[in-house]
Amino acid sequence: MTVSALTRPGERDRLINKVAEIDWLFCLTISLIAGAGAVMLFSIAGSSWEPWAAKHLGRYALCFGVMILLSLISLRVWFLLAYPIYAVGFLLLVAVDLVGHHALGAQRWLQAGPITIQPSEIMKIGLVLALARFYHGLSGKSAQLSWWLLVPAVLILAPVALVAKEPDLGTAILMLLTGAMVVVLAGLSWRLIAAGVLGLAAVVPAVIMFGLHGYQKQRLTTFMSPENDPSGSGYHILQSKIALGSGGLLGKGYGLGSQSQLNFLPEKQTDFIFATLAEEFGFVGCAFILVLYAAVIFMALRTSYLSHSHFGRLAAAGVTATFALYVLINGSMVMGLAPVVGVPMPLLSYGGTVMLTVMVGFGLVMAVRVHRYAEVTSGKGSLL
Amino acid sequence: MSEPSIFFAEVNERQGVFHRRAFLLGGFAGVGLIALGAQLGRLQLLESERYTKLSASNQFNFKMTPPPRGLIVDRNGVVLASNRPNFRLMVAKEKGLDARATLKTLAEFVPLDDGRQARLFREISNAPRKAPVQIMEDMSWEQFSAINIRAPELPGVTADMGEVRVYPYGGAFAHVIGYVAKVNKTDLTPSGPNADPILLNPGFRIGRQGVEEAFDLDLRGKPGAQKVEVDANGHEVSTDPAGDIKAIPGKEIVLTLDADIQNRAMEVFGAQSGAAVMMDCRNGDILCLYSGPSFDANKFVRGLTGPEYKALAQYDHKPLFNKALTATYPPGSTFKTLVALTCLEHGFDPATVHVCNRAWAWGGRVWHCDKVHGALDLKGAIAQSCDIYFYQAALTVGPDRIAAVARRFGLGDTFDIGIPGQKPGLVPDTAYKKRHFPKDPVWHPGETPSMGIGQGYTHLNPLQLCVQAARLANGRKALHPRLIHSVGGVEQPSGAAFGDLPFEAKHIDFVRAAMAAVTVSGTAAGLSDMGLGDIKMAGKSGTAQAFNYASGHGQHGATGEWKYRDHAWFIAFAPVEEPRYAVSVLVEHGGFGASTSGPLARELLRVALLKDPEIRAKIEKPMPAPEIPQVETDPDVVDPPTPAAAAVQTAQQQTTP
Repeated sequence: MTVSALTRPGERDRLINKVAEIDWLFCLTISLIAGAGAVMLFSIAGSSWEPWAAKHLGRYALCFGVMILLSLISLRVWFLLAYPIYAVGFLLLVAVDLVGHHALGAQRWLQAGPITIQPSEIMKIGLVLALARFYHGLSGKSAQLSWWLLVPAVLILAPVALVAKEPDLGTAILMLLTGAMVVVLAGLSWRLIAAGVLGLAAVVPAVIMFGLHGYQKQRLTTFMSPENDPSGSGYHILQSKIALGSGGLLGKGYGLGSQSQLNFLPEKQTDFIFATLAEEFGFVGCAFILVLYAAVIFMALRTSYLSHSHFGRLAAAGVTATFALYVLINGSMVMGLAPVVGVPMPLLSYGGTVMLTVMVGFGLVMAVRVHRYAEVTSGKGSLL
Repeated sequence: MSEPSIFFAEVNERQGVFHRRAFLLGGFAGVGLIALGAQLGRLQLLESERYTKLSASNQFNFKMTPPPRGLIVDRNGVVLASNRPNFRLMVAKEKGLDARATLKTLAEFVPLDDGRQARLFREISNAPRKAPVQIMEDMSWEQFSAINIRAPELPGVTADMGEVRVYPYGGAFAHVIGYVAKVNKTDLTPSGPNADPILLNPGFRIGRQGVEEAFDLDLRGKPGAQKVEVDANGHEVSTDPAGDIKAIPGKEIVLTLDADIQNRAMEVFGAQSGAAVMMDCRNGDILCLYSGPSFDANKFVRGLTGPEYKALAQYDHKPLFNKALTATYPPGSTFKTLVALTCLEHGFDPATVHVCNRAWAWGGRVWHCDKVHGALDLKGAIAQSCDIYFYQAALTVGPDRIAAVARRFGLGDTFDIGIPGQKPGLVPDTAYKKRHFPKDPVWHPGETPSMGIGQGYTHLNPLQLCVQAARLANGRKALHPRLIHSVGGVEQPSGAAFGDLPFEAKHIDFVRAAMAAVTVSGTAAGLSDMGLGDIKMAGKSGTAQAFNYASGHGQHGATGEWKYRDHAWFIAFAPVEEPRYAVSVLVEHGGFGASTSGPLARELLRVALLKDPEIRAKIEKPMPAPEIPQVETDPDVVDPPTPAAAAVQTAQQQTTP
């Protein structure tokens, strides 16, 4: 198939050509990470597919299918649905605030019959889409510095405020940083960036002092000096560092991680699965996984370069930023570089919601790649 | 905002800004990942050792294994105190323990009444975290296995096999060896060997009384540790025998006692109250140190119930009291041997004759004897134990000289035999009177005759009288008693290493000859024959007044109310020629020394002599060779003779030349 063939009208919309355009190396890389997750979950459960490993693989397979399907959806559809998705997400967040399901002292879920909906996850994608949609129609100059910038500010801060109120500090920070990243990528003036950073530096201590819940504050003080309370709130960080450090260069061996197998490590199958991996496979295993993550980020970011539309660029880059932030925040937390916030390691950790969010995001990235030459605003070409 | 307003160039510029900034985003992500990698390297490569240690201390716990307590054995290696396996049930305070409910559940398996449950609940509540409290000891195998099956669902409950102290001979050695008991908080000292709170673990016992107390540290040993893998809740996952630290068992203590003699002492005393001490009069080894009635030390290990303790403590025969060391009595006529020796040492002519008419007037009062002895010389006076002779003999030398000689024989003295509890008693003299009776500091001449017959102020314990008998029997050495033969294989100094007695040999020989006469023709006539052929026993009886007869309470002889009767003494040694063993026997309120204590002394000496291989060789005459009938042998059939038959044949050929 030559490039000239693809340039014929309608040729690119043929399904076979779309499938061929999917980045299969990317698919292999994320599958390797998810597979590593299953391997670790098998080990943690005492060499058993139950209760985690089999489910993890099943979910990944399902989410992978979703990702492929989404990647075939025309970027014009994504573009058209950007604001509606954001709006639905926002309304659901408000609904959570009003009638949401209480769990673990936080209000994060909506129960609709058998389906549990976590609106903040929808919002992660919705925010990226809405910002990309908005900047697509904004001139470079306006994106730099103009009153128009109040729109993205509201788009970001309104859902972040709702999520933070749930309270779900991890997701709120993630959304705030993702949104900020998109705004910066869209061309925000460096002066405003500097001002924003300085402003944050001024506001954050005040927020910590007055705006945080008791347990959130404690997590912060614990992070500053985990050794002060090794069996209390410093337990998570300390045990995680012990798991990592005792892994050494080559690890203790598969299935032989005493920290996770004997339950010293908390949340070993979700937020702290990286520590489990570090304990059993050591520095070598960790470095391998980090390289895989780096490859995923690189490939996703490259996709944003390829896109001919500003919407596609920003959407792909926004999803990449979210993913990268997931990895960095979870990694820092597990290694004792950041306070404990409930952010899992994407693809590696057990948990359906985050897996679905990430894979939907990757579906968007793949859609950007597949439809990189497409005009998002014109009516030409099929919607699928 | 309308689409056409965006110019092509502007679009390109927008793309250029994005590309540059996306490159920055990639850079940020890259830097972030590299930072993570660096932190990983720091934790996993540079600080790995530290975290490996922390991980191991998470994963492994060391469970204390109590050391086996040292054995206590007699001179022949007969075990007097050992340890036997014991199924124990323990509860330790840990996360999720509901002590009340747990005790209720356990009561389904082992007998725990409400009162005991309440007491154990208090004990568990007061115990430090993870310190096990013993619920039950000596469970049956059925109880043990039933609880072990349920243990995983009962947090804090463990059933294991420990050791418990056992005294195979129960009562015979109770006073000497003592017993062990649970360590109390009050046993812990701020410093020193008993400072370690690990002693409060149910695996430890502390010695109470006797050898168990005196040698507690030697017997205790050093605890070891068992390496166990635990999970985050502290539950055992597995054990790692390679990582165990072996417990060092306590040292073995060898006593000089002979279990056979000691057990025989308990048998012959029966229900009688008193004490028997036997020494080897060549080296001072104590072969028997019995105080009766005794108690079963095993019951003390288990813990006495209130009524049991009350019964022991209130019994008028005082079973908890070691009468061999702690109780002192007037020595009575046994003391005459030393009065006689004092006289001889100071030029008294043993041929001096006094006439006994059962009463003797001196110093304004009448002094009595128990019968009319007629004319006696010194030897006869000892043999017949004539009081009137010794009233006068004592007056010729005075109290200070008698006291000096008595002290040379260990009277009024205490000895380092390894266990506590000796009361020195008293050998009075004029200085004593001066010191202790400020209102009447003068020794009145009328006090001397009483001293001459072992009454008055003189009070001595059975060990001292045995030392006296042993020194008389030895004749030369100032023997010291030795109870502890060796501790952990290190032999203790012999009792023969303490210098000589400063008396003329012929004087001691004289006393010994008189003691030999006691058991032949004297007060204890007939006791000399031990049923061991030529091996004879010498001795001296003593009947000590427990109460003043004049007060109306004192009862001479074995009649009247028990607690007012005289104390019966007998000291003896055997064989008469070249003595080997000396004994002192006291029967509290036993009446006459010769008839009550004498036979006991003879029986104990008999057992000792029978166990002595050299003595056995002397008394066991070779059996006369049996007549072996000539076997009619058929010359045609030649049976090869069996080795035994061949030996018989050669013997016959040699004896019938």
